[in-house]
Amino acid sequence: MKHLMTRNAGSGDLPAIQALLGRNLQLPTMAQEQLLVAQAEPAEGGAPRVLATLRLQPSIGMTQPRCWYHVGCTVHAAPELGLFHRQRTLLLGHDHTGASELCDIAWHADDVPLETQAAALRLLVASACLLVARDRAGYAQRLIVELPGLRDAAGQSPFWQGLGRHFYSGDPAAAALEHGPAWRGHVAALLPRQPLYAEFLPAAAQAVIGQVHPQSLVLREVLEAAGLRYGHHVNLEDAGPVLDADTDALFGLAAARSWHWVAGPPAPGSPTMLLMRHQADGWRALCAAATVQGQHLLASEATAAGLGLAQDDEVWALPAA
Amino acid sequence: MNTLGMDPRQLLLRAAGPDDLDAFERIAAASATGITTLPADRSVLLGKLQRAAQAFASQDDSSGEEIYLFVLEDLSRTDARGRPRVVGTSGIAASAGFADRFYSYRNEMVVHASAPLNASNRIHTLHLCHDLTGYTLLTSFFIEPEYADSLAPQLLSRARLLFIKQFEERFSDRIAAESPGLSDDSGRCPFWDAVGRRFFDMDYPQVERLTGGRNKAFIAALMPHSALYVPLLPEEAQWAIGQLHPVGELPFSILLDEGFDSETYVDIFDGGPTVEGRVAMLKSVAASRLVTLVTLDGAPASAPVQAGTGWQLLAATRRAGFRAVLRQAHPEATARAQTHGAQLALDSDTCALLGCAPGAALRVAPLQGATA
Repeated sequence: MKHLMTRNAGSGDLPAIQALLGRNLQLPTMAQEQLLVAQAEPAEGGAPRVLATLRLQPSIGMTQPRCWYHVGCTVHAAPELGLFHRQRTLLLGHDHTGASELCDIAWHADDVPLETQAAALRLLVASACLLVARDRAGYAQRLIVELPGLRDAAGQSPFWQGLGRHFYSGDPAAAALEHGPAWRGHVAALLPRQPLYAEFLPAAAQAVIGQVHPQSLVLREVLEAAGLRYGHHVNLEDAGPVLDADTDALFGLAAARSWHWVAGPPAPGSPTMLLMRHQADGWRALCAAATVQGQHLLASEATAAGLGLAQDDEVWALPAA
Repeated sequence: MNTLGMDPRQLLLRAAGPDDLDAFERIAAASATGITTLPADRSVLLGKLQRAAQAFASQDDSSGEEIYLFVLEDLSRTDARGRPRVVGTSGIAASAGFADRFYSYRNEMVVHASAPLNASNRIHTLHLCHDLTGYTLLTSFFIEPEYADSLAPQLLSRARLLFIKQFEERFSDRIAAESPGLSDDSGRCPFWDAVGRRFFDMDYPQVERLTGGRNKAFIAALMPHSALYVPLLPEEAQWAIGQLHPVGELPFSILLDEGFDSETYVDIFDGGPTVEGRVAMLKSVAASRLVTLVTLDGAPASAPVQAGTGWQLLAATRRAGFRAVLRQAHPEATARAQTHGAQLALDSDTCALLGCAPGAALRVAPLQGATA
C-alpha cells in the first residue's frame, strides 16, 4: 500500500463503505456531519482502495435519545464488622447527549497489515480533528467514541446475557438490523432505571464491563494517542467502553490552523504534518513533511499534487502524531 | 372437641416474667429456626423477660422501647417444679425499630415498555425501605407441636391483639409481624445467598444473631440502597421471595385470618413475608367489646364442651398480670347479656383464673375462624 490519504466520501464510495459496515447508509446531509474514508493505492498499482471509514457527528442524541451505562462506585463500610466493600454500579443515562461523536468506524483487518490499519485509522482520526478545528463552533465541547465490547466466539455478549436479556427477550442482532443504531434507544426503555450493582450480574458479565473487543484494540490505541480516554461509560448492549475527550484538548487541535501553500522543498528535519485542502466539492488530506514560514506553508510539488493544491491555495494543517 | 382431646378451658395465657426463664430457654432451644427474637442464650432471654416484666408493670408513659412477652399454660399438665406447663410463647414489641430504623423490602411492580420494539414487561422490584418503622410488631410466637391443631395457637396469637386494643395508647395504630423465610436445616437460605451475602460476607445464621433487633445501623451501611431487580436474581432466590418457612405457616395463617396483608413487604435477609395492617381493622380487635364481669351463680365450671358452640376470647383488663382464656358463650350468660347489656356472667372458677372479681371489666371477642 502507498499514498495513504483521507477524503470525504462520495456516492461512489457507498458500496465500499456499506461492505465495511455491513449495513446500508447514506451520505451526510448536514454541513458538520462528515463521512470520511481512508484510501490507499495498492503497491502493485491500480485503482485506490478504501481501507477504512469513519463518521463525524456534530451533535448526538438530540432527536433520538442515546443511552449509556455510567459505571460508578459505591462504598459500603461497616467498621464494627470489619467489612469494607467497593461496589461497581451501573446507572442508565444520557450523559453524552449533545456531544460530538466519531462513529461508524470500520476498516479492513483481514488482508491489511496491522500497521497499515493503524495508519489509516490515525489518519482518519486526525482528519476528523482537523475538520473540527476548521469549524470549531460547529462541534461540541466533548467528543466521544463507542468501542465494541467483548463477545464470545459465537458473537454473544456475556453482558447482554447477564443483564439485557432479562428485560428484552428479543434477539439484539435482529433488532439492530431492523431499527438500526436507534435500537439501543428503544431497548433502553426496557432496561432498569435505578442504579444496578454489578455484583448482581453473573461473573462473566461483570468481567467484560469496559473491555474492548480484541479486533478493536488497534482503534483504542489510535484514539488514546489522540487524547481520548475511558470515562466510565459503557454501551448497554455489550458493555464496550465509551472513550471521550474534551474537544479542545484533543491532540493537535489547538495547533491546527490554515496557511497558504507555496511550492518548495521543506526544510531538512521538517515535521510530518497532516495537510488538508478544501474545495467546493469536498476535501482531501494526507501526511507530508512541511515547513511553516510566516503565512506560508512549504511543501513539495508531489504533496501539492496529491492534494490538488495550486500556488497560494489555503491549506489546513496540524502536526501529525 | 379438638383432636387432642384437650379441653381448651385448661389453657391460660398470661404475662411472662423472669420466673419463666426455664420455659423460655427450653423453647428457644427447640426452635432453632424461626424465632430470631428468642435466641438460645440464657442471659439474653433473662434480659428480655426482665424488660417484659418492667413493661407490664411500668406506670410511665410508653417510650416505644417496651417488649411484652406472654406464655401459654396447659393447666392440666405440670412442669418439673410442679407448676402448670408452659406450652407456648408470644410477644409484642411496642415500636418496630424503636429509636432507630426498621428495614424491610417493599414489593413494587414497574412496567417497562418500548413501542418500537413492541415489548412491554412487568418488572418485579424490591425497595429497601423504613415503612414499618414505628409499627407495633408481633414477635416470639412458638407453640409446642402437639398443640398445633388445638385452639391453643389461636389463644396464644389473638389474645395479644386484645392486649394491644386494651392498652392502645402504648402501641401504634399500625401493626406488623415477620415470618421466617425459606432456609434449610444447615442454615442455607437462597434469598440471603443471592442478596445479603454479597454485602455481608457471612452465613445467614451469623447475621441473624448480629441483627436480632433489625435496627443496627450497619444494615444501612452495607445493603444496596437502590431497587433490586428481581429478574436479575437466581431463580431459586426469586422463588423464595415472600415464601414461608414451614414452621411459620400456623402463626402466619392466623394473622392472615385476622386481616393482615402479606403482599407488600418481605424480610431483607431471608425474603420471608412481613405481614402488616391497621390494628383497628383486625377481626378480633374490631369485634371486641368491654363487658362487666358478674358471677354466674350455680353454673358448674366443668360443664361439658358444647359442640358447635362458638368460643370466646376473654381477657382481663389489667396490664400487670394480664391474663386471657377461652370460654364458650354460655346460653344462660348470653341471655343474661341480652337483658343486662354489657355484662358477662362467668363461673367463679373462671373469675379466679382471670384474677377478676365481679364488677371488673373484661375485654371479650369471638374467636375467629375456629369452633369447637
